[in-house]
Amino acid sequence: MANGNHLHPIQASFLKHDGFQCGFCTSGQICSAVALLTEAKNGELSYVTEDIRRRPAALLLSEYEIRERMSGNICRCGAYPNIVAAIREVQSGTSVEQTWNFAG
Amino acid sequence: MRPFKYTRVDTIPPALKLAGANTNAKFLAGGTNILDLMKEDVAQPDELIDISALKLTQIRLLTDGANKGGVSLGALAKNAATANHELIRMQYPMLTQAILAGASAQIRNMATNGGNLMQRTRCPYFYEVAMPCNKRVPGSGCGAMEGTNRMHAIFGWSEKCIAVYPSDMAVALAAMDAMVLVQNTEGRQRSIPFTDFHRLPGATPEKDNNLLPGELIAAIELPPNNFASHSYYLKVRDRASYAFALVSVGAGIELKDNIIAGVRIAMGGVAHKPWRALKAEQMLAGKQPTEDNFKAAAESEMATAKPLAGNKFKVELGKRAIVRALNMAMDTNLGNGY
Repeated sequence: MANGNHLHPIQASFLKHDGFQCGFCTSGQICSAVALLTEAKNGELSYVTEDIRRRPAALLLSEYEIRERMSGNICRCGAYPNIVAAIREVQSGTSVEQTWNFAG
Repeated sequence: MRPFKYTRVDTIPPALKLAGANTNAKFLAGGTNILDLMKEDVAQPDELIDISALKLTQIRLLTDGANKGGVSLGALAKNAATANHELIRMQYPMLTQAILAGASAQIRNMATNGGNLMQRTRCPYFYEVAMPCNKRVPGSGCGAMEGTNRMHAIFGWSEKCIAVYPSDMAVALAAMDAMVLVQNTEGRQRSIPFTDFHRLPGATPEKDNNLLPGELIAAIELPPNNFASHSYYLKVRDRASYAFALVSVGAGIELKDNIIAGVRIAMGGVAHKPWRALKAEQMLAGKQPTEDNFKAAAESEMATAKPLAGNKFKVELGKRAIVRALNMAMDTNLGNGY
């Protein structure tokens, strides 16, 4: 996936957002994320896509869409928030800040 | 590990010849179910006929025949390619949604249309070879009946088997009155109406469907319909994704002057085959698409349900799922995100 020492944007984003702990699922997450980028570019649908009857065009994916499209990759360490943020940054082309609130 | 013979065929005749010569052979396409079944020692074919190279991948408009104006789905077209095909997303959006509701992206990329129809129940007693299962070993009993049956049937079950059929795609195909085109060793073709393809368990739960030995699914034909602009596939499950249905509903409504001219409702997760909700359909024909009418139709359909000890919730869930699917079908622009 990398070009010599030049990491693929998804790889770099996973590093930036700390998208892994043990690393066991990471190669699969990265492969699926790269496929996700192509599918979104081609306007391919997911179960949560609104208005599926519109003509295929490149899609900007919400967090909800990314989660659905990555649902075939499971992470026992629970790195999902960081994985989704990493993918979202590359897919949207804009920087993604992770935010959180105290529960209750 | 059990040894088996593996042959890859490039054309249909040798595929049919090999299948006709050995009743213990199985076709291999995407392998997304058969290989799992072999690894769990549930399926024990002594021969795999790899048909993945056969030229049965076309998705095309039908210009003649009984389903003229409709679409033919090649049996070896991938589920993902089928869901995203322009003809399907525009004219059969319920089918697109149903396919996308199933499995995961990786599985949808490998799975074929024909294979989807051939997949077997995920009942844990079927999968566990140490457990009694009349489907896997006729006469051995049903472990689920007195066991954990939360995911099992509420319609059409028998004392021998309470398993459900897991395919989402098949629910949409049942709603659309699809036809399954099959070929056999002599090259003879026949078409099986979709609602006659899968069976109820009755006294022979070991038979999932009405294919004859050696038959190959070549294509699935969809007749033209008038409910593309008001259809929806709702899947209710324990997780947000990558899980089988507790209950699912494919609904398609044809409106004329705000009257329901025609309606199709099919349910998944409730029976040994996709369940056409014919009582609900009959009740709604000619009526206005109101919440009260939807509720009455749902009640009449679910009134015949026979729940088990572990799945009584499916009756109320089924009622609400039918109503919700019909409401979503009416609201054409509402997607699945919220």
